[in-house]
Amino acid sequence: MRSRGLGSFAVGAFISGAILWSLLTTEVELSRLLSAGPRIADFLGRMVPPDPTVMNEIMKGSAETLRIAILGSLGAIFFSVPLGMLASETMVSPALFRPVRTLLALIRAVPLILVAMLMVGAVGLGPLPGIIAVAIHATGMLAKFYAEAIDSVSRAPIAALESAGAGPLARLRHAIWPQMAPVIARDTIFRFELNLRESLILGIVGAGGIGFYIQTYVRSFQYDKAASVTLAVIAMVITIEAINVALRRRFA
Amino acid sequence: MNLAVQIDDLSYTHPGAELRALEHVSLTAAAGESIALLGPSGAGKTTLMTLLDGRLRGWRGRAYVLGAPLDPDHPPPRARRPDTGFVFQEFALVEPSSVLRNVLNGRLGRMSRFRAAFWTPAFRDFELARSALADCGIADLAARRVDSLSGGQRQRVAIARCLAQEPRLILADEPVSNLDPARATEILTLLTGAARARGATVIFSSHQPDLARRFADRIVGMRDGKIVFDVAVDDLSEAATAELYRETVIPPGSGLRAVS
Repeated sequence: MRSRGLGSFAVGAFISGAILWSLLTTEVELSRLLSAGPRIADFLGRMVPPDPTVMNEIMKGSAETLRIAILGSLGAIFFSVPLGMLASETMVSPALFRPVRTLLALIRAVPLILVAMLMVGAVGLGPLPGIIAVAIHATGMLAKFYAEAIDSVSRAPIAALESAGAGPLARLRHAIWPQMAPVIARDTIFRFELNLRESLILGIVGAGGIGFYIQTYVRSFQYDKAASVTLAVIAMVITIEAINVALRRRFA
Repeated sequence: MNLAVQIDDLSYTHPGAELRALEHVSLTAAAGESIALLGPSGAGKTTLMTLLDGRLRGWRGRAYVLGAPLDPDHPPPRARRPDTGFVFQEFALVEPSSVLRNVLNGRLGRMSRFRAAFWTPAFRDFELARSALADCGIADLAARRVDSLSGGQRQRVAIARCLAQEPRLILADEPVSNLDPARATEILTLLTGAARARGATVIFSSHQPDLARRFADRIVGMRDGKIVFDVAVDDLSEAATAELYRETVIPPGSGLRAVS
């Protein structure tokens, strides 16, 4: 009891310390904090009514984001098939799957926007760095999912087909693939949804897509136009979500 | 005499194990016979049947199945594999696939490699799958996914897959151990009946003496990798059964500890 009381005191002290440290060392002037409310209200006021004349830019930007998500996902699938096999406990030895899994965890740990910034630096502005960034970032998760799909395949039906005289190709086709396919389809659709959502903001760092217009309009104080693009992004996210729910119902 | 199985002095040790799973096992089965392998868990029943199915490597001894020798180092040629059908204890079905597809899987060894890999079963394959489903009383379940079925229904699908294979020897590993008594009787009636109708030999394992007595012509008792008795069903004595399931008695104070 005593040590537990001491423990919770230490946690409390640590949290209070962290809050005090943040409050005292961030130079927030009280006057600015007090006037922030009206300023935010004023800012939001300048966003209405949203400017509908930017429909063209919205369509162009959305189409580019969609293309980045599709091609980036395709790249992630391309890398995830071999890496998924190499990260599988049942297909390769621990000497191989452990480092591959660590590599995938490291890739997952880097946020997409950071990968995108690095790629913009490497290959220049436009959708190409966005596509590469999505492909790399998504592989960290998708290859892990594929490895889990491979490892979840039950061995007994494979032995049963072997006993019936099915060759290796027939066993892959009729015992292994039917067990993996629904999992692979579900995980790939899930990752595509994430890719589409996350690539909406890639334009902010110059990696193509609709985010570019938000950044441009905010920087040039055209808040009504920025509002239209933001509304379009919200509409897209809701649409993606609805389509994904429908797809999941179809595959589940 | 036409023998379906003829094995002589078989021994096998699982990789990494100390005790032998099979020790100097000899057995014959006449064509059309129904044999029950009786014995406690770990007696070597599954190992023996897996060996007869040609899925075990590195054993010693001689084994002839349906007139052809088994090779301890290589799987049997593909053309011979469908002649021996295996019914697995845990069903071993492809869960997300339909019942019909699972039964058609039993035909894969009878098709050309091309047909098998690219999934173009011939009319005859469908015909045999349909009649196996009908024989097992599950024709109405053909389109259902296996993962939506009960245990008894799954075992019927597994038997239908085995029958669609047109086997001359059926090996059934604890085919009813997961089922309640009523279901168990139904399944064994179905299995032995279908085998008799096709003139196929059946070897099934069980740890229930009453079921073995009811559905077999001959009963082979196994314990610790050895055959301890091999008798016609009418000659099976209570004493022999009791001896088969006797607990290993360790004298107190002997310093030995029981190992499961």
